[in-house]
Amino acid sequence: MFEYILSILIFFPALAAILGLALNKDSIKAYGIVVSAIEFLLALMLWYAYDAGVTGMQFVESVAIVEAFGVHYLVGVDGISLFIIILAAFFTLIGIASLPEMKNIKNLIITLLFMQMTMVGVFAALDVILFYIFWELSLVPMLYIIGAWGGPRRVYASVKFFLYTFAGSMFLLVGILYMGYAYHDATGIWSFSLLDWYESATLPFNVQLWLFGAFFLGFAVKVPMFPFHTWLPYAHGEAPTIGSVILAAILLKMGTYAFVRFSLPLFPDASYYFMVPIAIISIIMIVYTAMVAYAQKDVKQVVAYSSISHMGVIILGTFALNVEGISGAVFLMIAHGVVSGALFLLVGVIYERRHTKLMSEFGGLATVMPYYATIFGVFMLASVGMPLTINFVGEFLCLLGFYEQSHTLTLLAGLAIIVGAIYMLAAFKKLFFGEVTNEKNRNLPDVTKTELVALLPLVVITIWLGVYPKPVLGPIDNSVKPLVQMMHDRAITPEAQAAIASPLVPKEAR
Amino acid sequence: MIEITLAHYLALATILFCIGLIGVLRRKNLLLLFMATEIMLNSVNIGFAAIGHYYGDLSGQMFAFFVIAIAASEVAVGLGLLIVWYKRTGSIDLDSLSSMRG
Amino acid sequence: MEIYLYIALFAPLVGSLIAGIFGASKKLLFTGIVTSSLLALSFFSSIVLLVHLLGGGDEIHVEMMTWIAAGELYIPFGFLVDEISATMMMVVTLVSTLVHIYSIGYMKHDAGFNRFFSYLSAFVFSMMVLVMSDNFAGLFIGWEGVGLCSWLLIGFWYKKDIATWSANEAFIMNRIADLGMLIGIFLIYWNTGSLQYDTVFAAAPSLDETILVLIALFLFIGAMGKSAQFPLHTWLADAMEGPTPVSALIHAATMVTAGVYLVVRAHPIYELTPDVSYFIACVGAFVAIFAASMALVNRDIKRIIAYSTLSQLGYMFVAAGLGAYWVALFHLMAHAFFKALLFLGAGNVMHAMRDELDPYKMGGLFKVMKYTAILMIIASVALAGIFPLAGFFSKDKILEVAFGSENYILWGVLWVSAGLTAFYSFRLIMLTFFSDSRYKKLGFDPHEAYPYMLWAMAPLALLAIIAGWFEHQFVEFVTQALPMFTFNVADVVWMLIVVTTLIALGGIALAIWTYRDGPLDPKWERNPIHKLLINEYYIPAAYERCISRPYRELSAFFWKEVDLKVVDYTVDLIASMVYGSGKKTHTMQNGNLSSMLGWVAAGAVLLLLAVIFSSGIQVAG
Repeated sequence: MFEYILSILIFFPALAAILGLALNKDSIKAYGIVVSAIEFLLALMLWYAYDAGVTGMQFVESVAIVEAFGVHYLVGVDGISLFIIILAAFFTLIGIASLPEMKNIKNLIITLLFMQMTMVGVFAALDVILFYIFWELSLVPMLYIIGAWGGPRRVYASVKFFLYTFAGSMFLLVGILYMGYAYHDATGIWSFSLLDWYESATLPFNVQLWLFGAFFLGFAVKVPMFPFHTWLPYAHGEAPTIGSVILAAILLKMGTYAFVRFSLPLFPDASYYFMVPIAIISIIMIVYTAMVAYAQKDVKQVVAYSSISHMGVIILGTFALNVEGISGAVFLMIAHGVVSGALFLLVGVIYERRHTKLMSEFGGLATVMPYYATIFGVFMLASVGMPLTINFVGEFLCLLGFYEQSHTLTLLAGLAIIVGAIYMLAAFKKLFFGEVTNEKNRNLPDVTKTELVALLPLVVITIWLGVYPKPVLGPIDNSVKPLVQMMHDRAITPEAQAAIASPLVPKEAR
Repeated sequence: MIEITLAHYLALATILFCIGLIGVLRRKNLLLLFMATEIMLNSVNIGFAAIGHYYGDLSGQMFAFFVIAIAASEVAVGLGLLIVWYKRTGSIDLDSLSSMRG
Repeated sequence: MEIYLYIALFAPLVGSLIAGIFGASKKLLFTGIVTSSLLALSFFSSIVLLVHLLGGGDEIHVEMMTWIAAGELYIPFGFLVDEISATMMMVVTLVSTLVHIYSIGYMKHDAGFNRFFSYLSAFVFSMMVLVMSDNFAGLFIGWEGVGLCSWLLIGFWYKKDIATWSANEAFIMNRIADLGMLIGIFLIYWNTGSLQYDTVFAAAPSLDETILVLIALFLFIGAMGKSAQFPLHTWLADAMEGPTPVSALIHAATMVTAGVYLVVRAHPIYELTPDVSYFIACVGAFVAIFAASMALVNRDIKRIIAYSTLSQLGYMFVAAGLGAYWVALFHLMAHAFFKALLFLGAGNVMHAMRDELDPYKMGGLFKVMKYTAILMIIASVALAGIFPLAGFFSKDKILEVAFGSENYILWGVLWVSAGLTAFYSFRLIMLTFFSDSRYKKLGFDPHEAYPYMLWAMAPLALLAIIAGWFEHQFVEFVTQALPMFTFNVADVVWMLIVVTTLIALGGIALAIWTYRDGPLDPKWERNPIHKLLINEYYIPAAYERCISRPYRELSAFFWKEVDLKVVDYTVDLIASMVYGSGKKTHTMQNGNLSSMLGWVAAGAVLLLLAVIFSSGIQVAG
């Protein structure tokens, strides 16, 4: 019954988008909600059908595209990708559901549905060429969303977004092709299947270093890692709310997901070799961007920079190279998706009312919009990593995991919990506390029902998964264990073998 | 008395080619441009014929014939276009042909 | 018995949620009543558990469900009621119940009535999680939870800029300490493989000495934040911006003692690290005298009491640091009662004086607020450590411990602090309640608080008097979980008691004599020592100048100079170089056939040369 569910998940929205072209603009929103709701239900069914006890990929489908070069339409999920797919479906749904009236809404919804195809595709693809196709394809709808519905500097922002990530991807493509050749040289057959690559012999150390570098450039721009991050504030600054939500919640996760999926298992020795430099970059991301966030005057920029800061924690957890850290990183991807997506939605709420995002224009909103303030407060606290919210679980595990590798670096990275609190509390104070000084804010309406429909589920998830993360963390953990085991087995240098401990051996025995 | 070797032929071909090339680059009159092109083509023909003879292979000469044929048709078409252009603009100066300016 | 554990734990949460539902509605009296009764229920359950343990019952240990499980990390929601947590639960629920009842009156006219009770009950829940958890991660949940509620409650009157500023300061300063705590937790996990107390403490003796010292130090850094020890102490005085019941509950009786609780709870680790323990004792003694000195001159009744709290926390740390864990816990309990009482009394005064806090503007309030005055005097006498009130038993015990373990310097410091404590307590009493009625000139019309507010204070007053009498039972009880601290001062014990009581009485007498006619001559305020003390040793100003402002400036610098002008500029530079080269080279496409032919020829020559050189043919020469 669930044999083709992944293909359905990938192509259903695109198909629906094409059919949607025939609709007029009055019925398109309802249509979009229905389609994305079906998609979300399908994603939930995927979760339901997913067997957490089985390691390895599930729902694998394979159809040859270019037989001669071993390019396949090969898709499958495991615990690492499962929840990001669900998250993508979920955010598309609430994104569309919370869309306000705007010009060209039909094109926007069709673009979003198309975007959904690329997002699910990226996380489901197991063939590297297929992955690359979806990876690049996902840029197009976002380029269109920012370029067509963005703010005054939308063209600059969208072109910057596109070209920057595209330039990074060029290196990625070269790396992929080299890997293909290397696989061909070693085995005599062409294959771009990630599963085949996992099985093949590890590349020599110096080759790994170069390939890791090529993959790294492609992924780092997407994450975005310091110093490749400057496209993000522009993109967020100009993008419409829905664009920012999707960008922060899902698109950024592509980079970190790819690190887990490609860089770690394919280049275990290089991953270990570059661990410390990457950790230092992460710490710069965490502290430096948090400070930059503190200096911002525009609340959306605060959230944008905070995204970069949190992505630093994810990268750090990923390069902990142990189960705790990587599980935490994958969980934090979900958590950060929920929380930053929610924060962008919240910023959208006041932007919709006042058409400004400058914090100096606000103040005292807690009096006029108490429910809004409360919801914002919940997500602000989640963002600063309050225990029993979703973010804490991820952040705690990431830092805990990396502590095994380096104490000092973890201490520095732990500054995240301080600097994060500084900018978030400052922003919250500027927006909500004090007297209402600006007359325009005096009669702002509190959150509407439409907005609540989008926000309340996120509040529920934030607290539910903070208190009881097991339904998500369990499958993630089960899939990360074989991943770490694979890294351990594939490592060729003795240092990496020693550093990447096999999760099958209990700690006492090491 | 020096024996005429392949090198001499090739040298002649090179010299002719360079003359033609300079003609192409320096001349502004389209008619002269055509003539310069012809010189270049013929220098290549000399090269073909000489090397064909040197190797005792006829394909060199054959190529030369092809080139002559192509050159002839090219000149025919080219001159036709040139006449049309002259009738339309009254000039066959190369610099006046700038409607494709980027 | 487990059901009582769950009731004790979750009743406050239920109350908080019920009150929270009406958070944005107008005042509803029943939210106050519901939360108070649920807390009373929680208190009742705690008493049942305490009685169970007193009757020789086993400690209760439950594991509710898994929280985080990844790799080999396994953290459950586990709760433990042993002698230590039962004592803490009793203190926490008792004081919070009374504070809740009191607050119904105190917050009567406040628009955020429901919200207040929601936050206050949420705080109690967090505090219960903190003291009842059976592992360090659960402790950390409570730890952050009380920090959050403290933030909410300090900034409760969010329209006041200073209140929200103080709230943020408290939160951030606590976060600094929490990082230390987190690192301590990581160290524990990677060295023992678990975060459960029993596993960790069982594994502790086999750990490497440096590791143990690091764990002990990092955990203590966490404790320093919550308990506002130097140098992370400035937030506590600023936290007085919150409503007074909050100060009584959070910033005197419960949350700030969490640090002491942590040290007591982790005593198997601290016992193995005598150097760190001694360091803790020294920090405690320093804070005891340091905070007491600042309380001497302050002109804000709540701040005076806050500094007094700080000073008493220092005492507790001395006891804990010297290994007398039960003494620390004993003083913690006694202090909770009389300090909460003192704060609630201050709350009555504030109410009567329409939120005026300067005692120089009060005076002679005894005539109008007799009961409040009596209650506050009881609390002050207890604080000063006069027989037979609670402070005498608990605080003198700490002095005896210091003397008995031959730390005469620590003892001396504490002894002086005891005198200062007595002095500032009665300075406050004298300025507020006695001498001439200065408030009349300023047009205040003070009145006594509602009777039920006074009744809510009465149990605290009773306990402030009698808590000390149960010393023996207390020792017997808690030493089932804590090591007995033995020291021999039998031969000098009477002398110690006399000496300490003398300095306390001396302090009181000096205060009464000095302030018999109201405030001192303003010329005293020009004294450099006075200036130093009233400015809190210039520490807040130094923090602002050396940390906050540089941080702000550096942030702005990073954004405007580094991010925009270096990082982003580099990116744009690369882009504009590409654009620029396109702009420059597009002149090649000028449409002039002859120049284009020239480019063709040049290109052909270049390609030819490239072929020649790359093919490796040697040019004959």
